[in-house]
Amino acid sequence: MVEVRSVSKSFGPVHAVADVSLTLRPGEVTGLLGPNGAGKTTLIRMITGLMTPDRGAVSLFGHDSLINSGPARRILGFLPESAPSYPEMTVTEYLTYRSRLFPAPAGGRAAAVEHAIKACWLTEMRRRAIGKLSKGYRQRVGLAAALVHDPRVLVLDEPTTGLDPSQIRAMRDLIRSLAKGTTADRVVLLSSHILPEVEQTCDRVVIMAGGRIRADGTLAGLVAAHAAGAPFVVSVREAAGVGAFARDLAAIPGVLRVQPAAHDERQATFEVIPAGAAHDLREPIFALAVRHGVTLRELSRRSATLEQVFVSVVESAAARTEREAA
Amino acid sequence: MSAALAIARRELASFFRIPLGWIVTALFLFLSAIAFFQHSLEPGRAATLQEFFTMWWSLLSVIAPAISMRLLAEETRAGTIEPLMSSPASEVAIAAGKYLGAVAFLVLCLAPTLVFPGVLLSLSRPDVGPIIAGYLGMILLGMAYLAVGLLFSALTSSQTLAFLGTILTLILLERGATEAAAYLPEPWDSVASALSMGVRLADFAKGLIDTRHIVFFLGVSAWFVLMAALVLRIRRWR
Repeated sequence: MVEVRSVSKSFGPVHAVADVSLTLRPGEVTGLLGPNGAGKTTLIRMITGLMTPDRGAVSLFGHDSLINSGPARRILGFLPESAPSYPEMTVTEYLTYRSRLFPAPAGGRAAAVEHAIKACWLTEMRRRAIGKLSKGYRQRVGLAAALVHDPRVLVLDEPTTGLDPSQIRAMRDLIRSLAKGTTADRVVLLSSHILPEVEQTCDRVVIMAGGRIRADGTLAGLVAAHAAGAPFVVSVREAAGVGAFARDLAAIPGVLRVQPAAHDERQATFEVIPAGAAHDLREPIFALAVRHGVTLRELSRRSATLEQVFVSVVESAAARTEREAA
Repeated sequence: MSAALAIARRELASFFRIPLGWIVTALFLFLSAIAFFQHSLEPGRAATLQEFFTMWWSLLSVIAPAISMRLLAEETRAGTIEPLMSSPASEVAIAAGKYLGAVAFLVLCLAPTLVFPGVLLSLSRPDVGPIIAGYLGMILLGMAYLAVGLLFSALTSSQTLAFLGTILTLILLERGATEAAAYLPEPWDSVASALSMGVRLADFAKGLIDTRHIVFFLGVSAWFVLMAALVLRIRRWR
């Protein structure tokens, strides 16, 4: 597993990463999210050994990534943003070169290169110069280069940047399959700005803001935790008693406020905002509708999305930072 | 070691896949041919390559920076330094691999010029000693210059800055040491003289292969390569 223990990194007065601790487990795809300047890239650079933290330590399956970092780097595969490579080399040449930077794998380098080419669907492009490939293929070459030595830790920085929708879907499936390695499960850390991609690819989501981890959990867990304030949607058939029904909705214990969402000659829709997480208002709303004799057409709770979770976490982090600054 | 060799192989191959490599090679051979025909093949002149080597030692201060400027600067600019630095290759292996690739390229550029001593040998009976010493001096000087260039290439992501920085440093090192040797009082004049590459090359031109000179050039080269490795290491600390 990957253990990040209380790492901090400052650039002058700016605390890029402040006392971050994180454990990444094999077989799990973790998505690292955050707005620009959140500290994601700095954290990734420290995990990959490209940057030394001011404080704290990072270990990859027990190997320190900074002191005597050779063993840690042997089990690390890293795809930097924009998948840099050498445009004059062919795909096979580049992957062979990359494999030579690592100890020879059990099955031999040629077999490892072949496996990486097949895993990333590069067979048809293997003899092409990388500079002549499309952005999508270059991204796959970068991923194949990160995979060629069968690493136990895979760090992918914006792996789907510049890909078209079908390529994104293929890349997503590939990344999910990579968590299950050929010999042992892998740790996969994926940094991305594309929330639906993280939503559909990752088992776990870590949200950073202001250099700190602000949320960490499974997607379902985070959504549930942030669904507390999600509104109930109530649609009723338009009739004489609807006005009184709407007034009494606001009087139900646990309702913060009621706001009209849509209204036409046949139907009126309201959003009922609960005062807290514990308030399941569906039964009192139903009872109220029965009492007023109005016909319910819809009664549901709007589920939170990762985007809402993200916005909520980032906004509350910004508000906290402002309070601290004041 | 295997990582350094892999990097050196890639570097050497890349020189022949980019225009810069072919331009440097063509320039190298073109100027070599002119120098040879002007200074060595003239009827009535001594059958020697001394002036050919003298001219080359001056030209190396431009050719070597042109070869070395892209070594690490281009990796930094293109971002390929990140996957390289996150691989198990140490900073020394990366610097040494880049350096060895550049030295191999320089030696390959020199190889076709062996036709010139071949022509001399077929037309007359030149002294072979100064020719062998001259080539050795050229390779050793090239190695030292490439090592200086590698350090500058590690310091910046701009090939132009690396090129200019190397040329300026080489001029300062060479001219500075030579001028200082002429003007400084004892014992500092000997120290400056010992640091001057030109003084040592004069011995090679005479056909004198002095082990101290070889150790000097190799030592200077190793020092600059290690400094380049240190620059890479410091990047992790920033």
